[in-house]
Amino acid sequence: MCRACRNAIAADVVATATGEVWMRKRCDDHGAQEVRLSTSAAWYEQTRAMTQHRVAPRTGKRPVALGCPFDCGPCEAHGQKVRLPVVTITSACNLDCPICYVHNKNHDPYHMSPDDFARVLGHLRDDHGGELDIVNITGGEPTLHPQLCEFIAAAKREGIHRVTVCSNGVRLVKDEALVAQLAALDARVALSFDSFEAEADVALQGAHLVATKLRCLDLLEQHGVSTTLIPVMTKGVNDHEVGRLITYGLAKSNVRHLEIHTITFTGQGGRTFDRAGRISMLEVLEGIEATTEGLLRVDDFVPSPCAHPLCYQIAYLLVDPEGGAPVPFTRFMGREDLYRALSDRLYMEPTPALEAVMHEAIDRLWAEDDPASARTLRLLKGMLTAMFPSDRAITRHEAMAAGERAVKAVYVHSHMDEDTFDTERAMDCCDSNCYADGTTIPVCNSNVLYRDKEARFNDAPAVWNERRGGHRLRVLS
Amino acid sequence: MTARRLEGKRCLITGGTRGLGLAMAKAFTRHGARVAITYRRDRADADAAVAALTALGGEPLVYEGSVADAAHATATVAAVNAAWGGLDVLVNNAGVTQVLPMALIEEADWDLVMDTNAKGAFLFARAALRGMIRARAGHILNIGTAGSERVLEAPIHYAAAKAALRGLTDALAREVGRYNIQVNLLAPGLLDVGMGQMLPKHRIGEYVEQASLGRLGKAEELAEIAAFLVSDENRFMAAAKIVADGGL
Repeated sequence: MCRACRNAIAADVVATATGEVWMRKRCDDHGAQEVRLSTSAAWYEQTRAMTQHRVAPRTGKRPVALGCPFDCGPCEAHGQKVRLPVVTITSACNLDCPICYVHNKNHDPYHMSPDDFARVLGHLRDDHGGELDIVNITGGEPTLHPQLCEFIAAAKREGIHRVTVCSNGVRLVKDEALVAQLAALDARVALSFDSFEAEADVALQGAHLVATKLRCLDLLEQHGVSTTLIPVMTKGVNDHEVGRLITYGLAKSNVRHLEIHTITFTGQGGRTFDRAGRISMLEVLEGIEATTEGLLRVDDFVPSPCAHPLCYQIAYLLVDPEGGAPVPFTRFMGREDLYRALSDRLYMEPTPALEAVMHEAIDRLWAEDDPASARTLRLLKGMLTAMFPSDRAITRHEAMAAGERAVKAVYVHSHMDEDTFDTERAMDCCDSNCYADGTTIPVCNSNVLYRDKEARFNDAPAVWNERRGGHRLRVLS
Repeated sequence: MTARRLEGKRCLITGGTRGLGLAMAKAFTRHGARVAITYRRDRADADAAVAALTALGGEPLVYEGSVADAAHATATVAAVNAAWGGLDVLVNNAGVTQVLPMALIEEADWDLVMDTNAKGAFLFARAALRGMIRARAGHILNIGTAGSERVLEAPIHYAAAKAALRGLTDALAREVGRYNIQVNLLAPGLLDVGMGQMLPKHRIGEYVEQASLGRLGKAEELAEIAAFLVSDENRFMAAAKIVADGGL
């Protein structure tokens, strides 16, 4: 895709003599362009070669006319169903972050209606056949929507286990009653949290927000709201803090996951942000290894089988309730076993595959009789005992919550922008924006191409160029 | 409910404050029985159970303690005898399980599960039988599990304890049958209470798929079966193993 006109163009991926991976392309109107995709050709090739578990969307398929990424809805060629449905309920936002990767509109803001939200849930239910386990509510800043709690309750009535609300935390620290409501509704908050340092804070968020974020996290912890921290890694700005962010998150009782994003240069802020901050997935993983003092290594992460392997890297950790260091799953099971355990869901759920690999891991640890395994076996037993207490009956939901307290995850998620856009990744995307008419658009496609055309998010919507897509990357060694 | 099958019967149900135990206590009360229940430690559950039984017109007796404690068993039966002048029905329902693979089951876990599920039944049966032998009448109903009767995936100590309960039922029935005391075992499948409400959906799905009736059992359904088994309508079943699992 051309950086300037965002028309689809052919591109090559090449390994350089220094072992890096670059995408090279040429737009007839805007000339040659290139971007580094990875610092390691070996890692890139090995990761890209992982086979994903594709389950194609069941409904709403549109004929391929213009070629990827211009037929979204999804199109008939899309390879993966929506594993992470994203519902944008408002265009309003109370911040104007320099790295904001979407377009928002505060003048005459758009607020999704309850009827439209119900329609979104209906379409998702049809596409998932009653197995819908997650929905992510976002914006703008979704806490500014006056009917947010109504939406959460509606999603819970649909039986959705994980209802997450993305937030910058600004409204939450001013409205503890809302935090209490979120707790009562068993909603989860995905809190953007980029830095502990003032300079980076201003560079990324455009404001001094560290104290606000910490106060918000305390409130969420006090009210027992399950929380995901979402730091956006930007080279030279906050990437040195990645270990501190992880360590901090893992220590908070209510933080279930960290979802670390690599910065993406889309949207009202990101498009003009200094692209020297671009950081690759592997650089983030190496940064994690370098700054977590042995807690997490690069090889503790596996791609998600439910997404393109270059989009997600996931590490799961067994938590020690007595405060000891968490144990990455890959220290007691093979990476291929963890990959298999994650094959059905973007987030770990008690599936038959998970049960099988956990049981095999326990048996192997026990059979090997390594003294170092004793602690891991104790932690695993603690998790099972918490999930299935012998002295009382708890609900399935309580059992799952107990399991989630015993296991935390670090996700690294790499979004695409027009520089890095790869139709292979787009066609296997499992994160999609979901609309009331049943349309679903992969999040990166939306951020790069679709959202700035929507009047609800823009005072002056952009218009489409003449489009012709369908290019597949030529990956050369 | 078609009749008051247990009119005037004096019944003791161990672990009677929740799940299947509570369902049996309620059913027995509705059938006209006087019901005593025991519980391990959760006072709130016990209070709720008493309220529920009282609302049905019962005047339940409630005793706290571990079924694996011989003194508790003896004292409980003595207290029921003192209050009502005897005991007609004992239901050994109290049980415990842990969802653990063999590798994680330690000696203490084994002892806990065996003591509660098997030894507890022995202790309460022994305490109750003296009066029943004197009366030359009585019912002892042990609550087992379909997991010890069918090929179900169950923790090994739990399956072993419930299998022991089956052996206890067989042997005891033969030993005390001469006194007109009937000892039987009811082996439920997965119910909508207890473990059935905790297991992951796919586990429930597997069970439902295998069961002829295509669903989990309801505690109330098992309670009605139990009410029949300990009633005077049941005069000839002894050492019987009644599997109620929806047809696995």
